[in-house]
Amino acid sequence: MYSILLYIALAVFGIGLIYKVSGWFRFSLGAHVPNMTAVARLTAACKGLLSVAFSPKLLTALRVLLVDVLLQNHIRKQDTLRWVMHMLLYAGFTFLLFTHALDKVIVTSLYEKYYLALNPFLLIAGTMVIAGVAVALCRRFILKVSRLNTSAMDAYLLILLAVIILSGMAMEFTKLTSYTHYQTFWDIHLTACLVGLAYLPFSKMFHILTTPLSLVANAVMDGRSDPANIQTRQIMELDACMHCTNCSKRCSVAAAYDRLGNDKILPSERMAFLKEYVSHKRLGARGLATIQKGIYLCTNCDRCTVICPAGINLRDMWFNVREEMIQRQPSVALMLTPFSYYRGLKRPALAPTQYNQPLQRAKEALAAPFAQVADTKAVIPLSAANSQFKKAAPLVGRTGTYAFCFTCENCSTVCPVVGAHDDPQQALDLLPHQIIRSMNLGLKDLVLGSRMLWYCLTCYQCQEHCPQGVKVADIFYELKNLAVMEAADFAGSKNLVGHASKTGH
Amino acid sequence: MKFALFLGCNIPVRVPQYELAARAVLGLLGIEVIDLAEFKCCGNPIRNTDYKTFLFMAARNLALAQKEGLDLLVLCKCCFGSLKKAAHAMNQSSAALEEINAQLAREDLNYTGKVAVKHLLSVLYHDIGAKALKEKAVKPFHGLKIATHYGCHALRPSDVTEFDNPVAPVIFDELVAATGAQSLDWPLKLECCGAPLLGVNDELSMSLTRKKITDGQQAGADYLCVACPYCQMQFDQVQRTMSASDHGQPLLHSIVFPQLLGLAMGIDARSLGLHMNTLDISNIESFLKQEQK
Repeated sequence: MYSILLYIALAVFGIGLIYKVSGWFRFSLGAHVPNMTAVARLTAACKGLLSVAFSPKLLTALRVLLVDVLLQNHIRKQDTLRWVMHMLLYAGFTFLLFTHALDKVIVTSLYEKYYLALNPFLLIAGTMVIAGVAVALCRRFILKVSRLNTSAMDAYLLILLAVIILSGMAMEFTKLTSYTHYQTFWDIHLTACLVGLAYLPFSKMFHILTTPLSLVANAVMDGRSDPANIQTRQIMELDACMHCTNCSKRCSVAAAYDRLGNDKILPSERMAFLKEYVSHKRLGARGLATIQKGIYLCTNCDRCTVICPAGINLRDMWFNVREEMIQRQPSVALMLTPFSYYRGLKRPALAPTQYNQPLQRAKEALAAPFAQVADTKAVIPLSAANSQFKKAAPLVGRTGTYAFCFTCENCSTVCPVVGAHDDPQQALDLLPHQIIRSMNLGLKDLVLGSRMLWYCLTCYQCQEHCPQGVKVADIFYELKNLAVMEAADFAGSKNLVGHASKTGH
Repeated sequence: MKFALFLGCNIPVRVPQYELAARAVLGLLGIEVIDLAEFKCCGNPIRNTDYKTFLFMAARNLALAQKEGLDLLVLCKCCFGSLKKAAHAMNQSSAALEEINAQLAREDLNYTGKVAVKHLLSVLYHDIGAKALKEKAVKPFHGLKIATHYGCHALRPSDVTEFDNPVAPVIFDELVAATGAQSLDWPLKLECCGAPLLGVNDELSMSLTRKKITDGQQAGADYLCVACPYCQMQFDQVQRTMSASDHGQPLLHSIVFPQLLGLAMGIDARSLGLHMNTLDISNIESFLKQEQK
């Protein structure tokens, strides 16, 4: 009976393992993915492994195995409590695995008479695991470590772990006193262990295999590695993520999540999303908009990559996923802000159309609600003044100053963007003084649709040189805020975001 | 003197030499800097699309410094401008301040305007003084012509940033002069480096960068000198990309001010991260040697 259960559990584990590992070679992320079969990727990985095995990189790999995998130095440097928790769980469990679960295979072959009625080592190791679970519960529910969200899987695993150890300990204690009790605990213990075994490849516990792999792979690989292997490593890294949320705690823009509530701003939540997304790549319109905004709201400060205890190269992950997402149509207004600086630096790594199209789409989407701007021949009716627009409460107290403008054109004269064009009106639509003047006339479309707003350097020359104290640059910032809102409403009403394409390619 | 050091997002990963040199110089000048691990993005990039989130992100950093009872020493001029603007906005509007504080309260933070935001250059100029720096410059430069680049978000809007005279600033020039180098007058000294539009409109961004570099070179400068990571990336990494695609040579290499000051103070090039610049600036040391003869 038990051997049948064991074989079923082992079969589920084996199939799960094959399914998961094959995914590393079948799936890909990024807009520019080498077009290779899974077999070719597997071959490339084997070549990569061999080349590491016969090079000085082997020493690097061994060092990482010792320092970061065995001693968990990565975690100790960041958070001692977390390291204690992890070591208790990991050392206790490893000990139990080798001396108890596999005792017939390992220990008895070395030491024939290995059998103790009440094995103190087992109790010590079991106590370690229980203490580890206690620390884990304490971190989650008493200390309430910020941004450590508890998913259903987290809860199942902690319960499963506790059941395995507690039933095992009860088994040890009842061994000499009551056979029937012993038998019951043995049933519970074994069933729990087999459930754990079968569930392992599908749960975050899979990280006991993948995290060491990620740590070693990232230590021996760099930007010059075979792109096929970088792709494979990236998919494997999704399984190496434990969702420990260290990255989100350190994330430079986490405060934006606190205000906006888009969880795709947080690196750990993006990873959770990608794990699920990578195999099928289906994404509804709203899902696409959320991930686009979330992943573009990133200053590329690298903190997540530096802090990740699994050594995951999140920097490259975000770069690739961001490209994939922005290629999948609709658009992201954030592309027209300094959030694009890093992408600008990385331009040589991207194909020209791949680089330009999403930018173009963002510009078009922002201009779409304001058709009046493009038609330079059209007569602007004087009665079109939008008094509501004029009266709209400014976000910043200073922006009401546009009314002081007497059209001296100083702002446009000192503007370096205007100065950089032979025909500025053709490139920018309205010049700064024209924008301010149009505001006074309530010509909302002209004001919000001008490319000038998005090509403003925010160098504040205009504002500094205005004799009337019009806060030109501050006004531009506010107009950009308004234009983004209007463009979102417009896209919503036109249902432009209704059809996100199925794949990114 | 003690400050909370605000590095921002770019310096640690893309301009680490700025941090290295600033720490070396500040240490030698007896200015203590404290690192607050909880500091995050200053909010600058999101101001374009979402003003209130910008204000919250900036205010959070101000509140963190206030909690520690420290003033801020900022290296990046965009961070500096962003924090200054947020402080100004909350100073002007009690409604904005209340709204932000209600959100900050969730993290046990509170901001009441008790934090001074200072840029590295202001600290060096006002708290140490150009004269004192000149005395510390034991290995001054000789015959070195520097085109100082002021950076927009420190200078303007001047009523908010309170950095220097916006049309005739002197701080940076006097600091450069304290190292023995000559700070040139050049037409585009106060203009933008072009960085804010990189990734948005690269042609425009690079044309502004090219204009500045050409102008500085025509004025006879040996090097550009900046005190902002965006300006440095533009004149360093981006200039290299630009010249590679034009099949030309970079015209004017750029040094970060604490590197320049550090060399004059006798700190070795490696401790100032001279080797971390993209464009080679090691030759600048030859201007020190002439003095020693």
